[in-house]
Amino acid sequence: MAIERIFKDEASEEKGERARMASFVGAMAIADLVKTTLGPKGMDKILQSTGRGREVTVTNDGATILKSLHIDNAAAKVLVDISKVQDDEVGDGTTSVVVLAGELLREAEKLVAAKIHPMTIISGYRMAAECARHALLQKVVDNKEDAETFRSDLTKIAMTTLSSKILCQDKDHFAKLAVDAVMRLKGSTNLESIQIIKKPGGSLKDSFLDDGFILDKKIGIGQPKRIENANILVANTAMDTDKVKIYGARVRVDSMSKVAEIEGAEKEKMREKVQKIISHGINCFVNRQLIYNFPEELFADAGILAIEHADFDGIERLALVTGGEIASTFDNPETVKLGHCKLIEEIMIGEDKLIRFSGVQMGEACTIVLRGASHHVLDEAERSLHDALCVLSQTVNDSRVLFGGGWPEMIMAKEVDELARKTPGKKSHAIEAFSRALLAIPTIIADNAGLDSAELVAQLRAEHHKEGCNAGIDVISGSVGDMAELGISEAFKVKQAVLLSATEAAEMILRVDEIITCAPRQRENRM
Amino acid sequence: MAAPAISMPSSSSKTESYVDNKRKEDIRQANIVAARAVADAVRTSLGPKGMDKMISTANGEVIITNDGATILNKMEVLQPAAKMLVELSKSQDAAAGDGTTTVVVIAGALLKQCLSLLSSGIHPTVISDSLHKAANKAIDVLTAMAVPVELSDRESLIKSASTSLNSKVVSQYSTLLAPMAVDAVLSVVDPAKPDLVDLRDIKIVKKLGGTVDDTELVKGLVFDKKVSHAAGGPTRVENAKIAVIQFQISPPKTDIEQSIVVSDYTQMDRILKEERNYILSMIKKIRATGCNVLLIQKSILRDAVTDLSLHYLAKAKILVVKDVERDDIEFVTNTLNCLPIANIEHFRAEKLGHADLVEEVSLGDGKIVKITGIKDMGRTTNVLVRGSNQLVLDEAERSLHDALCVVRCLVSKRFLIAGGGAPEIELSRQLGSWAKVLHGMEGYCVKSFAEALEVIPYTLAENAGLNPIVIVTELRNRHAQGEVNAGINVRKGQITNILEENVVQPLLVSTSAITLATECVRMILKIDDIVTVR
Repeated sequence: MAIERIFKDEASEEKGERARMASFVGAMAIADLVKTTLGPKGMDKILQSTGRGREVTVTNDGATILKSLHIDNAAAKVLVDISKVQDDEVGDGTTSVVVLAGELLREAEKLVAAKIHPMTIISGYRMAAECARHALLQKVVDNKEDAETFRSDLTKIAMTTLSSKILCQDKDHFAKLAVDAVMRLKGSTNLESIQIIKKPGGSLKDSFLDDGFILDKKIGIGQPKRIENANILVANTAMDTDKVKIYGARVRVDSMSKVAEIEGAEKEKMREKVQKIISHGINCFVNRQLIYNFPEELFADAGILAIEHADFDGIERLALVTGGEIASTFDNPETVKLGHCKLIEEIMIGEDKLIRFSGVQMGEACTIVLRGASHHVLDEAERSLHDALCVLSQTVNDSRVLFGGGWPEMIMAKEVDELARKTPGKKSHAIEAFSRALLAIPTIIADNAGLDSAELVAQLRAEHHKEGCNAGIDVISGSVGDMAELGISEAFKVKQAVLLSATEAAEMILRVDEIITCAPRQRENRM
Repeated sequence: MAAPAISMPSSSSKTESYVDNKRKEDIRQANIVAARAVADAVRTSLGPKGMDKMISTANGEVIITNDGATILNKMEVLQPAAKMLVELSKSQDAAAGDGTTTVVVIAGALLKQCLSLLSSGIHPTVISDSLHKAANKAIDVLTAMAVPVELSDRESLIKSASTSLNSKVVSQYSTLLAPMAVDAVLSVVDPAKPDLVDLRDIKIVKKLGGTVDDTELVKGLVFDKKVSHAAGGPTRVENAKIAVIQFQISPPKTDIEQSIVVSDYTQMDRILKEERNYILSMIKKIRATGCNVLLIQKSILRDAVTDLSLHYLAKAKILVVKDVERDDIEFVTNTLNCLPIANIEHFRAEKLGHADLVEEVSLGDGKIVKITGIKDMGRTTNVLVRGSNQLVLDEAERSLHDALCVVRCLVSKRFLIAGGGAPEIELSRQLGSWAKVLHGMEGYCVKSFAEALEVIPYTLAENAGLNPIVIVTELRNRHAQGEVNAGINVRKGQITNILEENVVQPLLVSTSAITLATECVRMILKIDDIVTVR
């Protein structure tokens, strides 16, 4: 008996083998796409927008690439999502997580072809993941107690993160910048107070860290260019006349002088508002909206520095770092919280004039000014620096550190292999497959660097059979090297997140045996 | 890529990586070819005998220029890698202001070398790293070649400005424009911050008519505007007291909508009278401060002046210039050393600026307003550029901008270097010998870098109609004999000591061209895929 139809028109259903195949292929295609960006010698991608302007982005950041892809494959979307989550959670390892998940699926596919039930594979993967995590936990180094070593750990992590990015030539410089910035945060992971300003011109080396807040605005004409011990009022208010907000409101008068009076009254209102603002005892006024000529002159006369049209981000951050609140009514001066800073001055970066607020209340605040040849470079530099900052701020909280360069993968693979040997039953195949997937990461790193991956990974495996070995791939010299000597470190948190989310994603995709594509929602015909 | 990987034994299997690599090679190849096409397009405009390009823009405008940045900017390229070269030229424009063609030509030559390196099987990251090293070394070599220059040494500054101007359409006027550029920049250098020059302090005013010869540096302020003297107001005021006002001298207008209700004839008379009185009282207040020149900011809401107010202003012997852009207000007030006035109530004598003479001058078919002899003038300068047609005028402005940038480079980094292809050939020679002591692929890549740099003298000679091979080989020979400053003398068509010929350029232009070009090439090299995204 044939069932007529369960689904709507245009909805489709794929079952069993076919469904699994579709999701495997999709996930692996995504993994292959970002695979080449992995490691210090990974390549970049051009992202060409099909939207207006056909903008071009050059990037090495897995999350950025995946975020902007057009995807119409359910499994591929899962991978994009885990990379996004990885980006939000720890900030780095966005490529690794996708590549590992892709490799796990590639191995799983072979096992499925060998007639092993997906559930068996999943339980094998779970055991392996748990075992790998234990292996890492045993090897972690924690230097939290020793401030000096901890700092050098942080620098190493920053360097390792940056070395795969565009900043790699100046990684010493940027690692120092990032560590300095993160150390100022004193343990908070709120990256809000680190402001990144991009200014084209100069070279990447000219980037610097400034303690304080920099606003990309101009000071009004005829106002002081330098204020010490500033009281800052941050506001979001319209500085033209308060209008009656009813459409069509109009005034009827019968003589010209009355019109002049009304104009005078409007001016008077503005002046009152300015007076109210001045009576807060401030010497710096920052408004999100425009300050028109007339109030500007009044402020200039009162010797107050007035900054108009600061963007929303700018004033929120300014309010945060100076400890003020954004005000929009000025009737009760005592309830408005003013911001304070030691010094406001105009500085020049490249060709542009900016305003610097230094000695702000919130000591954590600082600004990183990035300089670079073009917008492409600057955007990519910002993404890279952001990754480094994320990782560092996470590490400050969870100070466990591992070596890099494929070392953790080797350790895990070795332990997982041991486990496979001890485990009876079909599961051991899955566990073995897991270890092979782990080994794929050093293989890809070596491949991307144009090295003989098979040779290197084999050597590495031999090295790792000795106890307490620190060997990893030294991409620069193209051989197996001591990671401790080379100073290549990674945060434990990143590795753990990569391992766990990749396993989970692979598991999720493996469990799928049917894909139901719903019929696209029809748009109502409004004719 | 979508093929199921069932048949593949492991991820790094031979077949798969082969297919992948093939695609990557193709993309890289396509990028490099596209970028080189862009570089070739501007190559012929390099050097004093370089040719110009005529660009006809989408809206039918025609531009004739020799300025690399402008050419590239107007070319609407779509290929991403080609776009990067356009960006590169923009960066050079921002960093040094000159050498915008050079930087693209160098990048093109480097890419050409990279192509052959890639085809011989060297990994792109190895090439990229070697290029970086070579560029760093190149900067060292250039710095060692450079001659320090003092800002007081006006001669040297003029020389380098004229080198930049010589390659432009307006080269025959370089004797006039070069000193002008130098004087303009030097006059805005703030002694407190000697390394910084804000080119926005130099205002270039273009006026059609006359020839480039009539271009002048004005110590004061120039407006490309007419004096509003419809009612017969003065066009020339001596001992001027100047007010910059941000309000309008016209009947009142409120922000809120208003209408005047007139019910009979007598009321109308009264309203007219009131309007007169209102304006008259404003003008009286202005007159009371002794002000005799008004600069009125442009307003979109209402007329700056009406016929009526002009009439009264004329009677009060006040000269009026209207429609000053809001963006210019800061420049104007800085120059005049006065404060803008936003309300008639604040019209006070201390906010006025003082100048010896404000007059309207007729130039060709147009008129301009000149303010000269300003008391306590700010650190600003005006340059009035003239030209017989719009094309020449625009090109003259661009050339002058380049020259100003050159002088600015010298102010911020006070070193000069020889021009005429001398630094490039010297770099090529020194890097070439350095490459010999390097090991492995690095040496090979550095050698290619060195060869790529020869493109500059080669193109210079080619564009000048000389035999490039003869010239470049002779140049190489001379440099090998230790004549560091031997370069191509395009005028004489032979190799001479280029420093003696006064062909010099700022060090910053050369160094930034090399670093930026290398950075861009490295970026292109590292790309292995173009992904189309939302």
